[in-house]
Amino acid sequence: MNVKESQRTDAEPAAQDGGGGPRMTHDISGPPRLLTAGTGAAVALCLAVALAHVLLVFLHVAPPNAISKAYSRQIDAWVRPVFEQNWRLFAPNPQWVNRQISARTKRTAPDGTTRVSGWIDLTVRDNSAVKHNVFPSHTAQNMLRQAWNAYLKTHGGNDEPRSHRAVMIEKYLRNIAADRVAAQRGGTFDSIQLRVITQPIPAPRAAGGFRPAAAASTRAETRYLPWWKVSSHGTD
Amino acid sequence: MERTEQAPVPAPTPPPRTTEPAAVRMSQRVLDQVHAFLVLLTERPVSLYAAAMLRIGYGLLYLVFLLREFPHRDEIWGPGSPWTPALARQMFDQSGWVSVLTLSDSRVYFEVCYAVALVTCALFLLGWRTRAMSVLFAVVVVSFHARAIFMADGGDNLMVLMAVYLVFTACGRRWSLDARRTRLQASAGKTAGRLGGGLRHQLDDARIILITVLHNCGMFVIAAQVCFLYGCAGLYKVQGVKWGDGTALHYILNIDLFRPWPELSQMIDGHHVLIAVVGYLTVLVQVAFPFVLFGRLKYPVLVLLLGMHVNIAVVMGLPIFSGAMIVADAVFLPDRFYRAVGRLWRRTVQRTGGTAAGASSGTAPAAVPSQPRPAS
Repeated sequence: MNVKESQRTDAEPAAQDGGGGPRMTHDISGPPRLLTAGTGAAVALCLAVALAHVLLVFLHVAPPNAISKAYSRQIDAWVRPVFEQNWRLFAPNPQWVNRQISARTKRTAPDGTTRVSGWIDLTVRDNSAVKHNVFPSHTAQNMLRQAWNAYLKTHGGNDEPRSHRAVMIEKYLRNIAADRVAAQRGGTFDSIQLRVITQPIPAPRAAGGFRPAAAASTRAETRYLPWWKVSSHGTD
Repeated sequence: MERTEQAPVPAPTPPPRTTEPAAVRMSQRVLDQVHAFLVLLTERPVSLYAAAMLRIGYGLLYLVFLLREFPHRDEIWGPGSPWTPALARQMFDQSGWVSVLTLSDSRVYFEVCYAVALVTCALFLLGWRTRAMSVLFAVVVVSFHARAIFMADGGDNLMVLMAVYLVFTACGRRWSLDARRTRLQASAGKTAGRLGGGLRHQLDDARIILITVLHNCGMFVIAAQVCFLYGCAGLYKVQGVKWGDGTALHYILNIDLFRPWPELSQMIDGHHVLIAVVGYLTVLVQVAFPFVLFGRLKYPVLVLLLGMHVNIAVVMGLPIFSGAMIVADAVFLPDRFYRAVGRLWRRTVQRTGGTAAGASSGTAPAAVPSQPRPAS
């Protein structure tokens, strides 16, 4: 700052001499006023952007509140998509169910008769790919799991897609299943159906104070999705 | 002391002879502090070693990630993915993401992109033309993340943020090929630049100030980001019943997809008390994280977090996620720690291979005299 101040005082007569024009002949003296002002402005801008960014990210990750509701448009405009984040890692509660997703396929012969295949367990494949693997692939840990989570988010309990996003997720889930069935068993098929069995993880065994009453909630739930047409599969 | 004595004297009608110097002194002190802050902000790039560690850490992690998923690359990011290029492009229209990977559906284009991504990660990690590489690295990470948006977990999310923030930092000043080049140039007696006087010199000064400010702001944002991460992860857990009654880890240990070693998970799951203690400790450490950073307490907390993430990596089969978190934690270690690590590293390199050390000292901060000037 000392240096800068002395530079500024040096620069003042220089700027007056030069009339503010680009002709700067005072080589040994400090930087021209314009440059100093520009640097100062840039420094202030950097600082302001950094602080604003931190504030906006905070409002983005914090639970909805009066401020973030009032400025949600501005916050989204700045944060999305690149700075989007969600740190609810296993929170507020960890996932307490295991899901087993299976698929079966249907083929309609030219004479109109249909043949339905047996169920193929897609999840068991993922589980075995993870088992005894130091470095499991995202394809095993995340692909089907996240696709199903996204489906639940866009569809809820209803299998009728109600938004453009829901249609996209449905296609994604269908493609995953069709690709996997085709890779696993081959054969031709023109539609596919998914079955999702949701198995709650039982509460810890009654050792020292835990209630054993959770047995009622450990019953598995089975959900059948509608048959989906598959166009691109079954040629090989 | 002085301040508390002078404070109750506001400045009423009597001639404030004694208070005026105090007020001046106080405002002087405030000015000095502002001055010191401005000097730090504009002249001293903070935590250059930590920035270098971030560069090496995330460059390496993404390189390892891309290599690991190499057999699955088409399924995740390629034209043959179930999340088809058409679906990805539709999503971009809605979400605002962009990706270079969807510019063409050609398989060859995708393979070229993959190769470029691998090379980018490697060069970024080595610190070759770091600023340009950091931009390219951010483009790569954002592109791959956006293309497979439904495959990402928290670790991928963090890497996107860090890749973008690193563009603004001077992360190539230490432990990099760039640093090695400047060192060699300096020892060869070449003083680059600084030749043209006058305006050019001044522009150069302004550029250095701006680079320093950008770096410091970038490091500040990174630090704040990590605090938000832990604060959020902790505070949302506090709201959960399962974290509250100490059984959360039991459920986590029983999720099939995050149980690569079922025997190990079962063994841990058998210890109810241990599970409750570790669960509480996790929440406590995460919530406390932003508050302990300014004291000595940060070292035990960082060690606890390191232990936690190593455990997550092994027990849950999430090495990339854990690696991303560990690298983020290491931002808070001071430069003297990294210098000590550097010295230790050099000493072991020198001890293990006397002559081989010279060849491998490319990225390590090698002793200057051991490197003769190449072609100058």
